[in-house]
Amino acid sequence: MATDPRQKPDNRRGAANRAKSPLNAQARSYLDHHRKVARDSARRLWRTPVASLMTWAVMGVALALPLALLLLLNSLQGVSAGWESSARITAYLAMDVSLEQARAAAEEVDTDGRVLSVQLVERDQALAEFRASSGLSDALDFLDENPLPHTLLITPQDSARSAEGVRALVAFVEGMEGIDRVQVDLGWLQRLNAMTDILARAVWALALLLGGAVILVIGNTVRLAIENRRDEILVAKLVGGTDAFVRRPFLYTGAWFGLGGGVVAWLLIQVSLWWLNGPIERLAGLYRSEFALQGPGFDGAMALIIIAMLLGWLGAWLAVKRHLDDIEPGDIAGG
Amino acid sequence: MIEFRQVTKRYDSDHTALRQVNFHLDRGELAFLTGHSGAGKSTLLKLIMVMERPTAGEVVVGGQQLNSLPKRQIPYIRRHIGVVFQNHQLLFDRSVYDNVAMPLEVMGASPNDIGRRVRAALDKVGLLSKEKMNPMQLSGGEQQRVGIARAVVNKPPVLLADEPTGNLDPALSADIMKLFTEFSQVGVTVLIATHDIALINEMGRRQLTLDHGRLVSSRSAAAAGGVRGY
Repeated sequence: MATDPRQKPDNRRGAANRAKSPLNAQARSYLDHHRKVARDSARRLWRTPVASLMTWAVMGVALALPLALLLLLNSLQGVSAGWESSARITAYLAMDVSLEQARAAAEEVDTDGRVLSVQLVERDQALAEFRASSGLSDALDFLDENPLPHTLLITPQDSARSAEGVRALVAFVEGMEGIDRVQVDLGWLQRLNAMTDILARAVWALALLLGGAVILVIGNTVRLAIENRRDEILVAKLVGGTDAFVRRPFLYTGAWFGLGGGVVAWLLIQVSLWWLNGPIERLAGLYRSEFALQGPGFDGAMALIIIAMLLGWLGAWLAVKRHLDDIEPGDIAGG
Repeated sequence: MIEFRQVTKRYDSDHTALRQVNFHLDRGELAFLTGHSGAGKSTLLKLIMVMERPTAGEVVVGGQQLNSLPKRQIPYIRRHIGVVFQNHQLLFDRSVYDNVAMPLEVMGASPNDIGRRVRAALDKVGLLSKEKMNPMQLSGGEQQRVGIARAVVNKPPVLLADEPTGNLDPALSADIMKLFTEFSQVGVTVLIATHDIALINEMGRRQLTLDHGRLVSSRSAAAAGGVRGY
């Protein structure tokens, strides 16, 4: 487009008019610029695939580790929540209580408002079940009499299934006549809960530490990128680029590193889940548990990637804050 | 357009780069800044670009007092000052076009606008046909013209040049000077730091001479006429 040089003044005026373009045109060019910078910084990462992949891998591992522990923790908490809601109280009656007395006791418990249902397991029935399930039938034949008492299986109402509610109900049942012993299998559950609480804190501490590591890794990588583009930064500052303008490509670089790291972390998690799920199902089956490792799901994956991008952005921001100010065009115009 | 009032710049206790420099350049004026190496030419240019701040005195560019300018405002001042360097400061990782487009990009100009103005600037320096090339493929004189195109692409009212002809032979130097003259004719204030006495004498323009930080001569060539050309 070899324009006649004499047309230049017209061009100049046209440009000046356009500079006064309405606000939305400016916004559009701002967005265009963002898109361009984002594309450009992504392309730069592609151009050095090995280095980028390594950074992504480091980030991925650092993010996958706490995430995996969090998922495990979640699954454990799911287990204890499930058991807590199905908490049952087992009341063993005294050996000398007759079947009629046992039935009366069951009815009495059943009338209590906190009780959803009561099942009476008669001692003969209990022995038969035990014989069938334990495989000790030969040994049991040597016993003169049935060593098992009548048993009440009490299922509390939903409203009474809190720790205090269950405790109060236990106290009530214990106070009844003819009751020998009351058992609630919540002790180990409470221990598990206490342990998951500790584990949760440990996991969060670990997550914080590894998040910090991610920020540092990205910060260092971006610092190198800044060094590599020193000339460009100098020129941008010389021709009137604001700090925000100069920072932008590096912030996008950090965010892209974060994106890649998040995807790698997600892949690691998925592969580990696939790897572990078979054995865990078998183990849970042995314990007759519904326990299963829960994957992060779609929301979790999105959250992971967004957090990873934020961490990358933050790391880049720190590097930029620290190193961009050092690059001032003062030394460009030699003596 | 550019005014120095009693400007002193001291780097540390024993090195004073400029001492009480006074001068004033009008709109559309073209002047040379001369002096021996280390006389303070670069310091003077840096003060105009707010790369440095004066120790004492006032620097005023385009009516704007630069002493009290907050750091955040510096980029906006630089957008009104085009600079040409002896070593071009071109980026070799992008095309000629993209090099020239940088001042417009930092301003957030629209792509259409950028295209038109970059091509106009390249046309002005006679390099329109080489917009897609890498600056590395160009000769020294062409690289310098790319630098000039970049300096003027956003129509700054002030154009500074630091030894713009330092590496060029006389014919190319004359070409470059002709460009600078044309810019001053359309109202751009041009200040050229140079050693090239022959060139200065040939141009017959105003000359600011520095000697150990002092402005020893500010011979006004107003009599010769601001638009005489050469």
